[in-house]
Amino acid sequence: MTKITLDAREMEHPIPLQLALGHLQKMGQEEYLYMIHRKKPIPLIELAKEKEFLYLVKQDTQEVWHILIAKNQNIKLEELVDV
Amino acid sequence: MFNQGGLSMEQAPPVMVVLRFFVTASVFGVLLGFYLMGSVANFLPHNEYAFQVTVIHLLSLGVMASFMLGALFQMLPVIAGVVIKTPTNKATVVNILLIIGLSSQIFAFGTASSSLYLLASISLGIGLLYAMTMMLKEVIAIKDHSTSSKGMLFALSSFFIAIVLGLYLLLTLGGYLDGAYFKELKEIHYSFALFGWLTLLIVSISFQVVEMFYVTPKYPTLMSQYLVNTIFTLLVIKTVMIFMGLDSAFINILLSLLFILYAGVTIHRLYRRKRPTSDATVWFWRLGMGLLIVSMFIHLLSNIVVLNNQIMGISYVTFIGFSLSIVFAMVYKIVPFLVWFHLSNQGYMEAPMMFDVIHPKRAKIHFKIHLAMLTLWILSIVFQLDEVFLIIPSFLLTLSFGWLLYHLIMAIRKHNYTQKYTEKIEW
Repeated sequence: MTKITLDAREMEHPIPLQLALGHLQKMGQEEYLYMIHRKKPIPLIELAKEKEFLYLVKQDTQEVWHILIAKNQNIKLEELVDV
Repeated sequence: MFNQGGLSMEQAPPVMVVLRFFVTASVFGVLLGFYLMGSVANFLPHNEYAFQVTVIHLLSLGVMASFMLGALFQMLPVIAGVVIKTPTNKATVVNILLIIGLSSQIFAFGTASSSLYLLASISLGIGLLYAMTMMLKEVIAIKDHSTSSKGMLFALSSFFIAIVLGLYLLLTLGGYLDGAYFKELKEIHYSFALFGWLTLLIVSISFQVVEMFYVTPKYPTLMSQYLVNTIFTLLVIKTVMIFMGLDSAFINILLSLLFILYAGVTIHRLYRRKRPTSDATVWFWRLGMGLLIVSMFIHLLSNIVVLNNQIMGISYVTFIGFSLSIVFAMVYKIVPFLVWFHLSNQGYMEAPMMFDVIHPKRAKIHFKIHLAMLTLWILSIVFQLDEVFLIIPSFLLTLSFGWLLYHLIMAIRKHNYTQKYTEKIEW
């Protein structure tokens, strides 16, 4: 599996959404997006939901959000999250 | 467009719902500029009262309320998680009634025609109260309020109060009511419209967007939790005091101090950005907050000592400058995002990027025009320049709104062109 990392913690809105959307539109079956954000990116999560992507959202102890999104429904995102 | 309240793509209103209000606001801004130029050049019959209320309402309803309503149609689903069903139809009704109502109101001020006052009351009453009840109903129903959604509740309530009082004033001017409390209600109308609606809405939205847009530290919890409620409570206390015939100067001083504190904290937050970049919208925010401090400082002083008209004039111009600066900052963030986001989400791979919708350099040019306009207004007041000189800042005001209008129309054309002539993918 190829991890596409997007550290959006110091990016101004809406750059994280813009970059994430670009990745999702081109995403292959063997790829997943790993986004780190200071906020829970609800528009992105809602969009992933509507487009039927697989997603996982977790907040770590530092209050940083980890968002994993994949096109392939068989990926076990729980095993890939680094929290 | 922000990531706090549960935006669903299906809930996001169509681009034109928002842009039609922004275009309306810009057109009224251009008309305001022409009106000012016409008055300065003595092309229009001069009636001081009609002139003042026309300028105030072109600005507050034509420009500010139009921008704010457009922004609310966009932000309520996002910031407050509120769903406005059939937004296109609702926005069209509100927009048309606002245009009819304000136009008849302006002509009523100039002609003192009773029937025009009645038409203005009916159109503005139905249009604006419909918008407010529709939005308030949804915001009241929110179970878990954020600081921004709670602030919006108070701002919308303030606008509701200001509209009802405005209708009373209009019907009094039209001769339909005896206007026993005209003076008192006029003061309360202005307080709720300017401090309650306009400023509270800016304050509550800023708690969300300043941190989000510019990666700043959070506002102090005490401020984000209690500032809006406190200001609204003070406005209610002020209303009661006015009706009891008590001096409300102390409340005005407190309001001024709170707004100065808020503006100071916002400027401080903007200077502590984690990744400072040169962006016109940041300068609009800084300028807006600086002007709010000046305006509120004069307002504070005016409640302690008697100030001359010249200084009070600076207070009014700086307050107008504050509200316009923040609105322009928001528009230059909202419009490129909306156009890009809707097209990208629909699968148009050739959707213009945000800087292609309205290039940041164009926003910078607008900032310079806006700054020059405000500087010249203030200088003309400070140095008591001949009235003819006012033609220059009036022209710059027209240019400022004309500039924005042109870029809004270009953004709409780019959006429509992409939908019509480029390929769409399913993803």
